Amino acid sequence: MGVIGKRVAYYPGCSLEGASRAYDVSTRIVAKELGLELDYLEDYNCCGAMESKNVTFMGTMLLNARNMSLARKQGHDVIVAPCNGCSFSLQRAEYFLETDRNVFERVNALLREGGVDQLDKIPHTYHILEWFYHEAGPQKVKEKTKRPLRGLKVANYYGCLYTRPHFYARTYAHAGGQEEEVRPRKRDTADDDEHPYYMNALLEAAGATSVEFEPMHTQCCGGPHSLSDEQVSEKFVMMILQTAKRNGADIIATECPLCHASVEMYRHRLMMKGVPDVDVPAAYFTQLLGLAFGYSANDVKLKDNLSDPLPVLKRLGLA
Amino acid sequence: MAIHERSLVEPERILRKERLVVEGIDVSGDWNLIILPRVINDYDLDFAKEIVNSPDGKTINQCYQCSYCTASCPVHNYWDERYNPRHFIYLARLGMIDELQKRADVMWRCVSCHKCTHRCPKGVLVEEVLKVILRTMAKKGLIEEYPSKKFDKFFTEQVLEYGRIEDGELLFGWIEKQGYKVVKDPILKKPIPFIGETPEWLKQLTLKPIKSMNIGFLMLNAKHMLFHPRTKNWNKFKQVLRKVMEEEGALAH
Ligand code: SF4
Ligand code: SF4
Repeated sequence: MGVIGKRVAYYPGCSLEGASRAYDVSTRIVAKELGLELDYLEDYNCCGAMESKNVTFMGTMLLNARNMSLARKQGHDVIVAPCNGCSFSLQRAEYFLETDRNVFERVNALLREGGVDQLDKIPHTYHILEWFYHEAGPQKVKEKTKRPLRGLKVANYYGCLYTRPHFYARTYAHAGGQEEEVRPRKRDTADDDEHPYYMNALLEAAGATSVEFEPMHTQCCGGPHSLSDEQVSEKFVMMILQTAKRNGADIIATECPLCHASVEMYRHRLMMKGVPDVDVPAAYFTQLLGLAFGYSANDVKLKDNLSDPLPVLKRLGLA
Repeated sequence: MAIHERSLVEPERILRKERLVVEGIDVSGDWNLIILPRVINDYDLDFAKEIVNSPDGKTINQCYQCSYCTASCPVHNYWDERYNPRHFIYLARLGMIDELQKRADVMWRCVSCHKCTHRCPKGVLVEEVLKVILRTMAKKGLIEEYPSKKFDKFFTEQVLEYGRIEDGELLFGWIEKQGYKVVKDPILKKPIPFIGETPEWLKQLTLKPIKSMNIGFLMLNAKHMLFHPRTKNWNKFKQVLRKVMEEEGALAH
């Protein structure tokens, strides 16, 4: 533990300051309780998400380099992002800036032209879940838990980009079911690529029970196309929800605003169509941790969740 | 005999014979399924060159066609077997543009989940390569408008303009692009939810915070919709961004 640093630049990304404010609020609560410090990245810009990179390569490098430069200016070597899309975009830029000299030089020249400081150093980006796990860990969560999530059966949904691709997220070099010694992590803070477990570990430390959820735990929700290719997204979300439900989950824990939105939106549509076994609500893992730390449903903004996990949590006496 | 990746073979090239005699030997039963060969003479190697020359496309030449990417791809497995990353890479490297064009209706459906890249044993950045193929085709005018490209552009335009994204505007703007009649207020020209046309599911979903009297949430999002959140020091940077995108031909289409 303790390899990332307790004080980091916090890149919330656009959605956490809008429709996913529940994630932002509950993340801050959890960080505070765990004794970690988030330094808000002032005047950041959009990372370009999954969309801009399909239109422009250099543009997305620039967008992310600007944010990196801001983090350097605030004195940080590390950026954490709570969104799979944001952490992916930043890590992707990190990869290309580090491995391609031409890209690095071009980006630096363009940053200066755009009135932003050049990058003296490329900061590392971590998903906030990795940060919580490595800087605080299950032990600390257990200590802080005042109201254990006893009886709550959780399907831990990681989504796709949290562990993928290994070039950017620096998880194991290659799949194949070998032991960790045989295929070491490229970065010792990275989660297991095919069987991520950080969220399971934190929520279990808070008293919850994880249900069987493989392989849907890293199956794509169709997020990048959730508005433009509704059929595919709907099908993927259906598979995720049904697997969770049929394995006995009360709730789906999410760690990405995009996955969360996609799951909630399509859950609603599937229910309207009368598709069976899709009525599992979703909550951010930070909301659940917040509840376990003794905060109220209002504190962690449970009412913001359109899939409404309140009844389930109330029934178990957790909210 | 089974044909693997049958979707890659045109039906007219598959022959099944009841009886088959080759050089006087009756081989019916074992060898009665024949795929007629195909002759290719219209390939465009400059196309492949353009992909190799872009920073995110240069790994394309490492591919040795094992098909691990296709085997991991959820779009291939759960949606349409004609979506086949290995095959797209193959076609692009040979510069078989017309074959790629034939598959344009599924090529855009990649959900960017990166399972392909993750699993590829040769270190090909598969997802990136596929997007470069699409981008290059679009730039050369070889591919029609398709929904996700429209959305990507719409999204990127908002980033370029404000530096940030706002969910409401993205959602309603996109609905409008799909042909729904969105009513806007006369002064700020912002969409007014619940007036005009909205898909039924979305109406119900946006009603939820109202029904549960989630005032704080509504106020926050209403404020953002009225005053789009912006990055402050954006103007100078925006010009550089625009310039780069123009160079890449990203704004033209
Ligand atoms: S997995 Fe990699 S090497 Fe194999 S076909 Fe796909 S891109 Fe090529
Ligand atoms: S990124 Fe695209 S091509 Fe790759 S596995 Fe996912 S959907 Fe398939």
